[in-house]
Amino acid sequence: MKDEVKIILDICDKILLKNVDHHLRLSLEPNSTQFKTLKDEIISSELTKLLVKEDLGGAGMTLNDIIPIVQLSAQYGTPIPFIETIISNFLLSELNIKPENDFITLTNKTENIIIKKDKISGNFKSIPYLNLAEKILVETEIKNQKYIILFQKGGKLKLQKNFLSEPKFDLDAAELEIISMKEKPEQIDVQNLLINVRSIQSFGAMEKILKLCIEYCSQRKQFGRTLSKFQMIQNHISEIALEVAASGASLSTLKNNNKNFYNLKSTAIPKIRTGIASGKVIALSHQVHGAMGFTKEYELSYFTKALNSWRNEFGNEIYWQNILGKLFLNQNKNLWEFLNH
Amino acid sequence: MTYFNFPHIEEDDNLKNLRNDVKSFLKTTFNSNNIKPQADAWMYSANPEFSKKLGEKGWLGMSFPKKYGGREKTMLERYVITEELLVAGAPVAAHWIADRQSGSQIIRYGTEKQKKEIIPKISSGECFFAIGMSEPDSGSDLASVKTFAKKTADGWELTGRKIWSTGAHLSHYMIVLARTEKLDEKNRHSGLSQFLVNLKLLGVEINPIEDMTHQKHFNETVFNNVKLNKDALLGEEGMGWQQVVGELALERSGPERFLSHYILLDNFISEFRYKMSEMGITSLGKIISELQTLRMMSFSIAWMIQEKKSPDVQAAFVKEAGNVFEKKLIETIREMSNLIPFEEWSSSLKSLFQDATLRIPANSLRGGTSEIMRGIISKQLGLR
Repeated sequence: MKDEVKIILDICDKILLKNVDHHLRLSLEPNSTQFKTLKDEIISSELTKLLVKEDLGGAGMTLNDIIPIVQLSAQYGTPIPFIETIISNFLLSELNIKPENDFITLTNKTENIIIKKDKISGNFKSIPYLNLAEKILVETEIKNQKYIILFQKGGKLKLQKNFLSEPKFDLDAAELEIISMKEKPEQIDVQNLLINVRSIQSFGAMEKILKLCIEYCSQRKQFGRTLSKFQMIQNHISEIALEVAASGASLSTLKNNNKNFYNLKSTAIPKIRTGIASGKVIALSHQVHGAMGFTKEYELSYFTKALNSWRNEFGNEIYWQNILGKLFLNQNKNLWEFLNH
Repeated sequence: MTYFNFPHIEEDDNLKNLRNDVKSFLKTTFNSNNIKPQADAWMYSANPEFSKKLGEKGWLGMSFPKKYGGREKTMLERYVITEELLVAGAPVAAHWIADRQSGSQIIRYGTEKQKKEIIPKISSGECFFAIGMSEPDSGSDLASVKTFAKKTADGWELTGRKIWSTGAHLSHYMIVLARTEKLDEKNRHSGLSQFLVNLKLLGVEINPIEDMTHQKHFNETVFNNVKLNKDALLGEEGMGWQQVVGELALERSGPERFLSHYILLDNFISEFRYKMSEMGITSLGKIISELQTLRMMSFSIAWMIQEKKSPDVQAAFVKEAGNVFEKKLIETIREMSNLIPFEEWSSSLKSLFQDATLRIPANSLRGGTSEIMRGIISKQLGLR
C-alpha cells in the first residue's frame, strides 16, 4: 500500500471511529447534530475529493488506491453518501468539472428524461441516501448518446421498500436545475464502476460480520463454556472466514489496472464471488448469533441487510454468472486462454 | 481489520512467455511420446521419463540454489509451470512430491552433504520422494505418531509403519516424521524429528494399498529396525513438528488443490460448447468466477513463500476452498449437462467424469482433512 493511501486511511479511520456507531445508523436524520458533525468533518478533510485530479483541487488518487478506503467505510457501516460522493466527484473530474463541496448521490436508473433550458425532468430510481445528499449525479441516455448530468435535488422523494439498511429513493423530478452536463466518455462504464464499488463494500461488510461473530462467540457462554469452544460454532465461523478470504481475493481482478473497474470480466468475477459469499455469510452469521442477531439494537443486522441489498443490485450473482458464461462462450477461446487473457 | 491478506500479484510478461513455452513443450512431448492427458495426474499418472524431460528443460527444482543443481528461479515461475502441467493433465506424479515439498525441506533444513547428494537429482527429475507422516493410528492427529527412531552408536534405528504413502513404490526416499523421545502428553509436539530415509535400505517394506478406483498409488511402508546413518536426520533433533508445519504449507497451497480435474471441465466444454442450456451457461459462469478466485489466492501464496513469509493459514484456505470447489465441479458439470444425456457423451469424456466422481472423495482427505483445515482457521481466529 502506498504511503499516501496509508495516511488517508488513517485520517478516515479516525473520523469514522469518532462519529459512526449503531446509534447513528438507527437515528440518522438530515438535521441531526451527529449527521452534521460527521458531514462537516468528511467534507472539510477533503476525503470526498480523493479521486479528483490534482489540477481540479483533488488528491489525484486512482480507483485502485481507494479500494481500502471503500472497504474501511463499509466495515464501519457508514450510513451516509460518503462513497457515493467520492465516485460522483470522480466522474465529474473525468469530465474536467470541478468537484462539489457537498454530498452527492448517484444513479444510472433513469426514465422519461427531458432536458429543457438547463432544467431536467424525469423519473430516477434506486438513489441511495437521497435524503442526505444535496445534489444528484445521473448517467442517462438521450438520443443514443450517454450523458453524465449533475443537478440540484428537488421534487418528491419516495422511499423504496428495500432491505432497510441503506435507504434508497425514487424521485419524480420536474424541471430541476442542471449544474453541469457532458457527454459520457466512451471508456467509462458507470454501471460496472458502481458494481465494483458494491463488491468492495460487500467484502468490507463481511469482514465486519466476521469480527462480530468472533467477539460474540468469545463472550457468550452456554452450557458453562463460551460459544467459541463448540466445534460446530468454530466450523461455522471458519466457513465465514473462508468466504471473506475468497471475496477479498476475487477483488484482485480490479487491481492491476484502473480500467478493470469498467471491464466486464473483471467486474463479473468479484460480483459473483462476493454475491455467493454474502449469501453464506448472512445465513451463518445469524445462526452463530442466535436471537441476539435478529434484534434491531444489535448491529449484525445492519450489515446483513446491507449485504442483501447490494447482492441484489444491478442483477444478482446468478444473472452475472450467465453474463460471464456467455462472455466466455462468445469469445471462441478455450477456457484456459479466457482465464489467462 | 483485515484478517487474511492475499496480496495482489501481477503476472508479468516473463511469466506469460513462460506459460507459452510450457504449452509448446507439452504439445510436442505429448505427441512424440504418445502421452495421454489424465485427470488427477499428480496422484495417478507417473512417468519417470517425462519427469526427466522436465528436469532437462530446467523446470524442476526451480527455486533451489544453482550450487545444488537448482535453477534459482522464483516461486511464481514455478507456479506458472505447475499450473500448465496440471491443466494439460501431464504425467507428473513421479516427481511431484520431491519437487513440491521434499526438496524445499532439504534446502531449508538439510546438511551440505544432503543438499549436494539429493537436490541435483531432484532437479534433474531422477529422484522421487514419498511423504512419511500418517500412520495406521495417526491420521489427522499427526502429533500422535508412534514410529520411533532410537539413537545408536552409528546413527539411528527406525521402527514403525507409515500409511497412505503415495508413490512410495516408485520413490527413492521418504521424509519420515518419527518420535525421537517418548510422547509427553503435556507437550505432544515435542520430541519429534524428521529423517531422510532411503527406501532401498534393508528393513524397509512397501506394501501397495488398492484404492476404491482399483488403483495402487498409495502404500503402507513398514520400517523393521532400519539402520540409518547419523546424517539421515533432517534438520534439528526434536524440531520435527515445527519443520513439518512448514512442509504442510507447501503441500496445501498449490494449484493441484483445484486443478486436479480441470481437464474434465475443459473436455466437457470442448464437446458441448454449443449445446449448453441457459442453466448450464449460468453454472459455467459460477465455476469461472470461483476458479479464477482460487488461482489468485494460490498465486498470492506462491509469492508469500518466495518472500519467506509463513502463509500456513492462507494455505489452509486454499486447500479447503479448493476441496469445496472440486467437489462442486462434479455437480456443476451435471448442471451444465442438464439437456445432454450422459449416453450422448463421448467415451473419453464419460471416462474422465467417472474417474473424477470416484476420486473426488479423496480430495478433502489427502493433505489434511477439511475438518483439520477448519481447525487451523479457527485457531488463527482465536477460537481455540
